[in-house]
Amino acid sequence: MTGKNKIAVYIHHDGNGSHGGVDFQAVAEYAKGISNVARVQLFTEGKKLDPPALADDFQKSGFTRIVIGGTSPGYFKPAFTRAMAEAGADPDEVRLASFKEFGASLEGQTERAKAILACAVYGVPFGLAAVPENLPVNPATLIIGGGIAGIQAALEIADSGHKVHLVERLGTIGGHMAMFDKTFPTLDCAACILTPKMVAVGQHPNIDLMVYSEIQEVTGRPGEYRVNVLKRATRVDPKACVACNTCAEVCPVSVPSEFDVGISNRKAIYIPFPQAVPNSYLIDAETCLYIQSEGKKCGACLKKCAKEAIRFDEKDQTVELQVGNIIVATGYDTFDAHRIERYGYGVLPNVLTSLEFERLTNASGPTGGKIVMKTKKYNKRTKTDEWVFDSEGPQPKAVAIIHCVGSRDQNYNSYCSRVCCMYSLKFGHLVREKLPDAICYEYYIDMRAFGKGYEDFFERVKDEGVFVIRGRSANITERDGQMIVKGEDIIADTVVEIPVDMVLLAVGLQPTADAAHLASMIGIDRVQDGWYQEMEYNVEPTSTDRGGVFVAGVCQGPKDIPDTVAQASAVAAKVLKSIVSGKAIGSRERLTLIDIEQRAAALANK
Amino acid sequence: MAVRVNHKLIDELEHYGAQDVVKCYHCGNCSAACPFSKEPFIFPRRSMRHLQMGLEARLKANLEPWLCYYCGECSEQCPRGAEPGETMMSMRRWLTAKYDFSGISRLFYRSGKIEVLAVFLLAILTGLGLLWYGFNFGGKSLSVYHGDGAFLPSSAIHIFDWSMAGVLTLFLSINCIRMWWFTMMGERGPKFRLWPYIKHIFLLPIHFITQKRYAQCSRKRPWFLHLMLMLSYVTMFVLIMFFLRDMQTGPEIDWNVHTFGYIATAGLLIAVIFAIQGRIRKTEPYHVHSHETDWIFLILLLIITVTGIGQHVLHRMGMYEAANITYIVHLMGVVPMLVLEVPFSKWAHLAYRPLAMYFAAIQTDAITVPEKQPVMAPGTQLAFSGSRR
Repeated sequence: MTGKNKIAVYIHHDGNGSHGGVDFQAVAEYAKGISNVARVQLFTEGKKLDPPALADDFQKSGFTRIVIGGTSPGYFKPAFTRAMAEAGADPDEVRLASFKEFGASLEGQTERAKAILACAVYGVPFGLAAVPENLPVNPATLIIGGGIAGIQAALEIADSGHKVHLVERLGTIGGHMAMFDKTFPTLDCAACILTPKMVAVGQHPNIDLMVYSEIQEVTGRPGEYRVNVLKRATRVDPKACVACNTCAEVCPVSVPSEFDVGISNRKAIYIPFPQAVPNSYLIDAETCLYIQSEGKKCGACLKKCAKEAIRFDEKDQTVELQVGNIIVATGYDTFDAHRIERYGYGVLPNVLTSLEFERLTNASGPTGGKIVMKTKKYNKRTKTDEWVFDSEGPQPKAVAIIHCVGSRDQNYNSYCSRVCCMYSLKFGHLVREKLPDAICYEYYIDMRAFGKGYEDFFERVKDEGVFVIRGRSANITERDGQMIVKGEDIIADTVVEIPVDMVLLAVGLQPTADAAHLASMIGIDRVQDGWYQEMEYNVEPTSTDRGGVFVAGVCQGPKDIPDTVAQASAVAAKVLKSIVSGKAIGSRERLTLIDIEQRAAALANK
Repeated sequence: MAVRVNHKLIDELEHYGAQDVVKCYHCGNCSAACPFSKEPFIFPRRSMRHLQMGLEARLKANLEPWLCYYCGECSEQCPRGAEPGETMMSMRRWLTAKYDFSGISRLFYRSGKIEVLAVFLLAILTGLGLLWYGFNFGGKSLSVYHGDGAFLPSSAIHIFDWSMAGVLTLFLSINCIRMWWFTMMGERGPKFRLWPYIKHIFLLPIHFITQKRYAQCSRKRPWFLHLMLMLSYVTMFVLIMFFLRDMQTGPEIDWNVHTFGYIATAGLLIAVIFAIQGRIRKTEPYHVHSHETDWIFLILLLIITVTGIGQHVLHRMGMYEAANITYIVHLMGVVPMLVLEVPFSKWAHLAYRPLAMYFAAIQTDAITVPEKQPVMAPGTQLAFSGSRR
């Protein structure tokens, strides 16, 4: 950079400071102190940019470079580029300092914002200036979360000959994908794709699978992390257990099944689902009579187990792992439909969430894949009437599917959950396929069929006779035992009330309940919506600011299965790069503003 | 005919209180949540769309804002914070300005300062006029309150009241005729036939007195308070227009009229206090946004009620001078309230709402076959055809 440069810095802020916690005033003050900066100006969206007037101004002041800072300043670039061209200056010398793109959008990230701005002033890409130091790396990798993202990443890394520790909170790997019936838009059987991968993980010599386990503590530095994992006692020896189901047959306890999201029951000794990996039973200590009574009652399974696999005295244990890189693939929770009372979830028996329908329509589900309505049954033990699924139950004649439940709604989650439109269309297809006489309605706001082959799938589902109604329905009421969905048909410009027998709520995705806890334990940031913050939105979507910690799958932001798998493979490549080169990348957050500024200045002067 | 687009309409409506119309992404939740949204009047989303597109002519002919009572259900459920309820409220303000031939209404709604100024000027003019009248033609002494020698004899005030009522009725009538012309005689209005106008005429007094439509909102309290305010006001109006002489006798109390007077005063006071409290607390969706004109109206009403009570109490306590001054202050509130609020501002809705209900019934009659049928499977019910069974 020559001394002749004269730079103007424009910083956009939205006036009320509601977006993120970056202190724009402080950034502006800092910008004044950078050499060659002749002007610093804050502006808001309210002020309309007038390129000819700016051009006059630029010409008079003789600016050679314009820097636009802000959360998403790219929006204003055309006006400044035009102004520079009209002023006779180089229009390419309009540089962007996008705080959001480089991960400075939250409170306490003002220093980062300053560094981003400094790089733009020096004309050096931020990614080039903000390069952390290299550290030696331990070739073992920890993957947190055994869903499709964790499985894919684990296989990629393990197949290339490196050690992987895969930690899963539940009793089996597979995650949400294992619960699904079909995948969109190809309508492949989800289990047929997933179970071979699960088995491969279970049998892989390089993969140390730890189910029913949780991360307790993460210490150390990039390349040399020490992780404490709590291995909860399953109380069944996985090596001895042959999953013969004798124990579950005699177990007197019956509780809602997590895997079937409560639409069927499991025993206190159970296997999450028949294809679980590891293919072994486990005991739920909180409901087991033997454990709750401290060995005074029951113990039926212990007596019946021919393989003597049951170990009631097994204790939880903590394992310390030494790893170089950590992949976070913790997935998501679905939106709690109870929160929207007007949809009647939990009150009206045949209002189901999408996961419940996935289990209902799944051939391994409680009705063997038959779509039926709940029937009232008398429960002898609790002496109450209960609504349960019975494979002999009546079939619905009309099904309504409501999109965007809890998504794109500022009262709940303001973002789009990305997968709901497509899985709802898939539901429409399944309803029409399994019940050709049933009428199926889809209430949508906007149809987001954005991916490869998705639009074709949408057209196909419409051809199959699913009625798509543009308009989010407002409420579901019951009149004389008949559910009625009321909504506006926006294209016909009228309000319609449709009697239906079953309603499926396309609930959105949201960060897991313990996402914040895990983030603070590992030392990574979260964006406002609660998803984990990637290093750079466009070019580093798998890395985080913490060196050696990577994110994959929905925990970084809502995405569907193909995108999750792609991201998991990308993460594996990042980790393998680190292992093969023998270098762990340090944390960018440890870089100080002065480090970045000095490096940027040095690069600019080269 | 081609549709004319006024791209500045949405900016214009901002002056009337609609700040968030652009946020609407047309999910239709509001129209389905609204208890009043029935064929052929589906709102508020359709109006939001017309606003976004700047279809001024359609909106001017639109009765829908008057069919909304702002229970706030739509705004509460709105996923975008687009405030459909407040938009309907703003459109009522905008329509009031459009119906008004004089342009005064538009001036008031676009600038609270001008309205305050007008209120003050008129109040001072009223005060000076009454003093001038009292000292030159009336009782000439502030220490006489009632009887023939009163500072402001009730007979004179009575004549003043009636002449003012005449002028206001004229203004309001002209505006009502304009409303009828815009909504019923425009190109999208129904063909003019006399019979429906006669058949539905009973709707006017029914809606005016019972406000039964308001009672259909899921929240009942606003309806009750509004009804109380309205009935109290009508009672007071009748007392003043027909029984002013009996009100102003003294010092003994004429219970034949004062019984009604006390009940009406209590009603006014309670309703005003609840309304002000609600707008300060902002717990209900319909109270979250307050336009300047809402405050001017409520504060004027509070002043009138308090001074009305004050002059009565002082009169009965025998403090005639204080009573006379309080009475003048009371009238300084009443005159701007009636002259400015009834034909040009918030209170014009006392005429527009029942009229809108009346016109809506005539329009519904004119539609024999629903214009558009959504593509629906058998068993589907259009919401306007009533309950299923």
